Amino acid sequence: MGASRVDMKVVLLGKEYGGKTSLVERYLHDRFAGDTPYQNVRNYNATIGAAFGAKKVDIGDKVLTLGVWDTAGSERYEAMSRIYYRGAKAAIVCYDLTDRTSFERARFWVNELMKNEEGCKIYLCGTKKDLVISDKRTREVDYHMTTDYAEEIHAEVHETSSKTGENIFELFTKIAKDFASNPENIKKERDKDKETLDLYEDNKKKFGCCG
Amino acid sequence: MMSRRSSKKGFHVDESDLMCKNGCGFYGNPGWQGYCSKCWRDYQKAKQVQPKTEQIASNRSKRLSQMGSGETAPSFSKFEERKKQQSEKRKNTVKSIFNRSSKESSPSNTPPKKDPVAKRVSVESQQVGGEFAEFLKKLRKTTALDISKQVRAFIEKIQVFADSPVEELSEMVQDFYQIITDRINTLPVYKGMDQNTIDTLMDFIEKYILTRIYRIVFCPVTTTDEEDDLAIQNRIRSLHWITREQIDCKIYENDAESSQLLETAITDIIQMDSKRAPQDKLASIVQCCNHIFELLRKSTDGPASADDFLPALIYVVLKANPPLLQSNIQYITRFANPTRLMSGEAGYFFTNLCCVVSFIQNISAESLDLTQKDFDKYMSGEAVPHTSHNAYMCDGLRLMYQNLSTLTELRQRHEKLMAEALQLQQDMVEFKDSFKNEIDTVLERNPWTLRPRKSKADIDAENSDTELLPSPLKPEVLHPVGQ
Repeated sequence: MGASRVDMKVVLLGKEYGGKTSLVERYLHDRFAGDTPYQNVRNYNATIGAAFGAKKVDIGDKVLTLGVWDTAGSERYEAMSRIYYRGAKAAIVCYDLTDRTSFERARFWVNELMKNEEGCKIYLCGTKKDLVISDKRTREVDYHMTTDYAEEIHAEVHETSSKTGENIFELFTKIAKDFASNPENIKKERDKDKETLDLYEDNKKKFGCCG
Repeated sequence: MMSRRSSKKGFHVDESDLMCKNGCGFYGNPGWQGYCSKCWRDYQKAKQVQPKTEQIASNRSKRLSQMGSGETAPSFSKFEERKKQQSEKRKNTVKSIFNRSSKESSPSNTPPKKDPVAKRVSVESQQVGGEFAEFLKKLRKTTALDISKQVRAFIEKIQVFADSPVEELSEMVQDFYQIITDRINTLPVYKGMDQNTIDTLMDFIEKYILTRIYRIVFCPVTTTDEEDDLAIQNRIRSLHWITREQIDCKIYENDAESSQLLETAITDIIQMDSKRAPQDKLASIVQCCNHIFELLRKSTDGPASADDFLPALIYVVLKANPPLLQSNIQYITRFANPTRLMSGEAGYFFTNLCCVVSFIQNISAESLDLTQKDFDKYMSGEAVPHTSHNAYMCDGLRLMYQNLSTLTELRQRHEKLMAEALQLQQDMVEFKDSFKNEIDTVLERNPWTLRPRKSKADIDAENSDTELLPSPLKPEVLHPVGQ
């Protein structure tokens, strides 16, 4: 009964103002802050911040609740990032396709994650793809370089644009599917159920030997 | 309800199976290996009392020696007092307040144990207990009975183990959440409950249990929570000089509404300490964070991100200096239902608060973009950053400054008015003088001459001139007509 509802924590890492917030906005509310005058955004904005959001995703017979956690990307708060990604099942490491330094920062978080959070699957996410498409010269992060790196760390690369919405929903759907198909996540649930039954039987036996 | 209960029963246990293993006539509980609560306690005492007391005694003496060093003496007496209070509280082991269910089931169930000491349940516990009982009334009777039995047994168990290390207590509470969840998922008594009801039920259980055992598990004497509280409080106090600019905080209070919001956020986070149940404490954090987001919305374009939010929360915590911050965080971490902290808004904001505390503890010259020399100066109170004139002020201070400036303005206006009045007086005097002068000069130029009054000539009047005139002609008759 309770097993039909599963929570999943997805954490967003990346250099400050590197497009994390727009990514969340596009995914959760399907909108882009630059699209509409700010005034309008404010008026229909039910959730006041974009730092946290939850969205339900149907995967087969279960409803998965994706909790998307934005993190502060400033180097000042680097030491605390561990508190944020503790227990996360997936991490979207964002970098700005038009900013070489942002990819260097991405490498930092990947190392951190691999060192401290084994159960967390890593997704590299290049942002602001629309800028790169409209002017090829603005690209500072090479696609093949990122895929090579991704292979090395067993991650995958998604290049996205929050402005056009390109690849955003695909990315999150992939995350949800990967989570659901991971036998470990399902095994855990089953183990839990089994344990419960055993426990109960134990209790019964103890009932039996009373008095 | 009753008929449903007796007819539809797939699960049956003989009553004798439920009795205490000791044969004392009370009901036993599988959680206590088949003993009733009293026998279980005796059993446990016999088994564990020796090492436990030793441990606690050594703990205490260790603390005693730590505290003995002069200046911490007052906090030690406080600590002693609290310890005493706690143990007193424990003596009055309170039974259940589920009066409803125990009354209804009392004929066949556990005979009510007489507590020699008057029951003392805190007001908060009574209130939560009342709400919980109300909620249970809506459930099936068998379900409610099982829940209240489990909860009651668990609270008694915790009260027995009150002196255990807090980690063990935490584990017991967490295990209990799991046990209840498992029971709900497997036992037939709980069949047919929808997810919402289960959630509310779990919520109530958590709230009720922790409200009841709050004194035992909040800031327990076996931990260093109290010292940590003092440490962070002093740390925040010594960081009073931090400005918004230094931590990139983008909230401003240039209008009344903004400063009101900031004030509310600060109050929210301070109020966390006054709540008992973890979810209520978390609710305070969530409220505080929502107010911060509202504030941020005023000063940033588009939706606020974590890059804006975290500095703002740091700023609020620094200005609020919430009481017993570490104890509250530890308590929530140890005893809240873990699903709360791993998912949802509350979990996210709580994690942010943990980050803030960690940041404040590790704040350094580097993290504020200051030179080590400046940082040390500010920390020692030798100097204050020059930008701190627009620092946050509490309502009273702000009002005072406002009034002061109004008063100054009034005084200036008053002085101006006085000056103008004097000027006017001066002007009037001058005007009078100059007017007089002018008249005088005019008079001088044209001296007064008295001219004879011109009178009307009276032709008939007798006067000398007329004598000179020829005498008036007299009518003369030349020829009388009749003669």
